[in-house]
Amino acid sequence: MAAAGPAGRIVVWDAPVRVFHWVLAVLVVFSFVTAKIAGAWLEWHMRSGYAILALLLFRLAWGVLGSSTARFSGFVRGPGAAMRHLRDIAAKRHAVQPGHNPLGGWMVLFMVAVLLTQAISGLFVDDEIATQGPLAVKVSNALVGRMTAIHSFNEWVLVGMVALHVAAIAFYGLALRVNLVGPMWHGTMPASAGTQAPRIASTFLAAVLLAISAGFVYWLVVIFPKA
Amino acid sequence: MKKLAIALAFAASATAIAATAQVKPEDQVKQRRSAYAVMGFNFANLAAMAQEKKPYNKEEAGRSADLVAALSDYPRGHFGAGTDKGETKARAEIWQNRADFDAKMDKMITATKALPQAARADLPTLKKAVAEAGGTCKACHDDYRAK
Repeated sequence: MAAAGPAGRIVVWDAPVRVFHWVLAVLVVFSFVTAKIAGAWLEWHMRSGYAILALLLFRLAWGVLGSSTARFSGFVRGPGAAMRHLRDIAAKRHAVQPGHNPLGGWMVLFMVAVLLTQAISGLFVDDEIATQGPLAVKVSNALVGRMTAIHSFNEWVLVGMVALHVAAIAFYGLALRVNLVGPMWHGTMPASAGTQAPRIASTFLAAVLLAISAGFVYWLVVIFPKA
Repeated sequence: MKKLAIALAFAASATAIAATAQVKPEDQVKQRRSAYAVMGFNFANLAAMAQEKKPYNKEEAGRSADLVAALSDYPRGHFGAGTDKGETKARAEIWQNRADFDAKMDKMITATKALPQAARADLPTLKKAVAEAGGTCKACHDDYRAK
């Protein structure tokens, strides 16, 4: 499908990526806050975690079948490319390409990995008061203990990661005068000469993949624990 | 009168002996952990009812609440010197901030002593009491229990 942006602009982020991003951002904040309030809110913390897990599974699938800027094959580059990008930024000769730059690509992988760690470990957590992850009953207490420790340690890795993410975007905006927030919201960026418009995948396909992810998570946290 | 005085003196000295008797650290840890384990299983049972994961049953809830309440003041006397080592998740901060630890412990004891009556009242009352007691568990776990 051709990327049909407004005149002089190209679509860089498809709608599924943008919806994924902003819903994920809201849910991550919501999860953090409900974990801190705890008590009865832990039920909502868990639901939020299930939604995040479904979103992440969708994102992995979209990273294979989605638009060219969403595909891992499109933005995962070697460490050399990432270092070159860093040097380019330092020398102020960075090029603004549609999609993740080589450094941002690594950040995406890191964020997905940290979030997956948090969502999956959460399924096995036992706070040893009144709240258990849905799969805690399925495994040994030793594993539950390790998962609980991972969930509580990784929380702070996650906080640091969000801070780094926001700081990098602020740096691009303030120091490099590159607005990254706008394109993630409306999906488009100015087309400069020679840039090829990304290939945008079908939104219907995204909806199907999201439904499959959500269905799997529902099975995992509701049906399987009772089996 | 004299009999009573003797009895009182005897009782007082017996209490003193019990309090100062040296239970070795390893056994103190074992005792408090045993109490916490039974409390934990029974409180989880109350929580399951409060969260409507299992049907509320007055009799069963009452039994679980009785056990939690009966044992809740038991661990307090088993955090003596040297019990920060061995098979325990107790953090060294307990002995550094003893007053705060004891205050949190007292709050937990108060909240759990209210459970038996609440468990035998109705589900909304149980929910409230479980939330209250659970919060007092968490307050201590957050600061004084290793992850």
